[in-house]
Amino acid sequence: MTLNLFYFLSFLAVLSALMVVFSKNPVYSVLYLIITFFTIAGHYILLDAQFLAVVHVIVYAGAIMVLFLYVIMLLNLNRESEPHKSNILKFAAVICAGLLLVVLVGSLKGTEAIVQQSGKAGIGYVKTLGEVMFKEFLLPFEITSILLLAAMVGAVMLGKSEKTNDTI
Amino acid sequence: MQPQNGIPIDYYIWLAAALFTIGVLGVLYRRNAIIIFMCIELMLNAVNVLLVAFSTYLNDAAGQVFVFFIMAVAAAEVAVGLAILIMMYRNTKTTDINILNRLKW
Amino acid sequence: MNRSDLYSLTPLLILSSAAILNFFSISIKRNHKVIFAITVLSLIGDFIFLTSYSLYHQQHIDPLLVVDGFGIFNIGLILLTTLVVALMSYAYFEQREERKEEYYILLILAALGACIMVISKHFVSFFLGLEVLSVSLYSLIAYLRTRERSDEAGIKYLILAAFSSAFLLFGMSLIYATTGKMDFGGIGYYLTTTQDIPLIMMAGLGMLIVGAGFKLGVVPFHMWTPDVYEGAPTPVTAFIATVSKGGMIALLVRFFNAINGYQYESFTNLFTVLSIASMFVGNILALRQTNLKRILAYSSISHIGYLLVAFLSGGSMGAQATTFYLVAYFITTLGAFGIIATLSDQHRDAELIDDYRGLLWRRPLTAVAFSAMLLSLAGIPLTAGFIAKFYVITAGIGTQHWLLVFCLVVNSVIGLYYYIKIIAVMFDQKLQIKSAKELHPLVYVISSVTIAVLAVFLFWLGVSPEGMLSLIDDVI
Repeated sequence: MTLNLFYFLSFLAVLSALMVVFSKNPVYSVLYLIITFFTIAGHYILLDAQFLAVVHVIVYAGAIMVLFLYVIMLLNLNRESEPHKSNILKFAAVICAGLLLVVLVGSLKGTEAIVQQSGKAGIGYVKTLGEVMFKEFLLPFEITSILLLAAMVGAVMLGKSEKTNDTI
Repeated sequence: MQPQNGIPIDYYIWLAAALFTIGVLGVLYRRNAIIIFMCIELMLNAVNVLLVAFSTYLNDAAGQVFVFFIMAVAAAEVAVGLAILIMMYRNTKTTDINILNRLKW
Repeated sequence: MNRSDLYSLTPLLILSSAAILNFFSISIKRNHKVIFAITVLSLIGDFIFLTSYSLYHQQHIDPLLVVDGFGIFNIGLILLTTLVVALMSYAYFEQREERKEEYYILLILAALGACIMVISKHFVSFFLGLEVLSVSLYSLIAYLRTRERSDEAGIKYLILAAFSSAFLLFGMSLIYATTGKMDFGGIGYYLTTTQDIPLIMMAGLGMLIVGAGFKLGVVPFHMWTPDVYEGAPTPVTAFIATVSKGGMIALLVRFFNAINGYQYESFTNLFTVLSIASMFVGNILALRQTNLKRILAYSSISHIGYLLVAFLSGGSMGAQATTFYLVAYFITTLGAFGIIATLSDQHRDAELIDDYRGLLWRRPLTAVAFSAMLLSLAGIPLTAGFIAKFYVITAGIGTQHWLLVFCLVVNSVIGLYYYIKIIAVMFDQKLQIKSAKELHPLVYVISSVTIAVLAVFLFWLGVSPEGMLSLIDDVI
């Protein structure tokens, strides 16, 4: 049962990820990416990481993709505005990605033997994660706030238009 | 090896590798900067899947905590990235980028 | 977290408070002078505080950070570099119309990110430090929004940096998958207890190197370097060339010492290839450039190649040579970009070689200082660059990397050509009429004094490097 669910979610994830790359219209790409994110959230639930699944949906589908959609609407991008890329470059891109996949597959084969697994479950709960995060990883948590400060200053500074009568 | 949900760990590795490769493909294949950002998000998500899978299988919460930080970083990067994109659109009226076009040897 | 942890982290706390202070100061009133003063004073104060540590200070903030002599030395280097960048930014931004104040906040935050990176011993802190640095750099590179190339440089750096971060993360997650650890010590322990390393671990380390290689700009991951160097404001370019790359090198030294990566043939071979390719590609491509910022970009690629020779030697000798080379390279690069920044006017940077035609007759002192910087980059005796290169070669010979040393010597000769070419242009008699709007001369005093101090350091290190060497010896 879970295995079938895994196959279904993986198939959907890979398919919609491919559609992100190949759709002509950026809005469709965003929508496909949202589907991918939901399937990944499903994988998190399968992996017993419920809290992370919720956070994932809130942050990615809720915040980041809305930002993407907003920018696409703001810039009014549609099918016609998609620039043309020469076929040679596209071909080269496919070859490069294919090579990467081959290398990854080649090197990742036979991993199963390496990983030793211990039995206890339940690390995906808020209680466990919170304890680790606010004890062991308190400092990185603070560093993240600095990161967000830098992003905020940068985004506000760059996004603000020079003159008030600008079109966007 | 049969973990609690019955899915072998290497399936997750394959899934992550596939998603990562699709992300790389998108970055190389497309020229629209917004799509390229989305593909980078896809790559980061492939990493997240791998980290969560191994964190569950190794029973170590550090992996999942790392995923939180990656999410925060992704959000910060997207915020700055889209601001730069809007700035670029204001100057050039396009989101077309060709990473190699001005490369003079 | 206890009191001694807090004491060890005070330099970082000072930096973040300086950023917040700037933040509030802007919200009250935008004043370039005030922001500049806060930035410079806090950087100086931070450095003075840093000197209060003993060189043998060792504080592990488990599992993330370790504040040891090497880390303190690198933090000091980063703080001083940021200080110099801030000093040269004043005149550069004063003549531009854009808002200048946020620049200093971002600069401080970028320095903070680099400081976190050089003291980290765990993937989480490494990654977060790197990202704080990168996110600040994205905005810094695109800072001059109306200039035509800044947006292109910004977006190019953004995409390639994010792309390489993803590779870095994938590598980290593969390493985590095999070892179950994310701290460098734990990974090193795993490697010592395992007979043959699984392939997946190798793939992880390989992807980690790809990600790090992007940030360092080694061939074949160097594509962004010339465009970003050209498009970014000159002080920011100086910052990227020094702090961003130096921080990464320092981290690699720490990581490779922790996992004892020098014993693996495949990695040393990989780094050898990267190093040789960087030296040759950087120097040969630099020959054809007419834009000074691009020349320096390609020259920085080849310098990273030289640095990798020292890095590959491993052990304490390699670490010493790397650190000394970093110091010399920082001084020289800062000086060179500082001079470009001083000569830039309101509309464009002085980046074409033609801008320097006859500089010796127009501004003799600047021309002499610039020649000194270029000669140091080329590695001519009496300059810091020579001693640094000498140490790199000694380290290379000591560990019998003959091929690398041979390539380094050949490349030094190739490099000499384009450095001398620039110097020759400055001696050219043809006079050029320059009609730039000059600011109040006092504005330039800061930049000129900074460059003069850098030049003095350059010769001082070139003539008597013993002091610096014993300092480096102590911290490693």
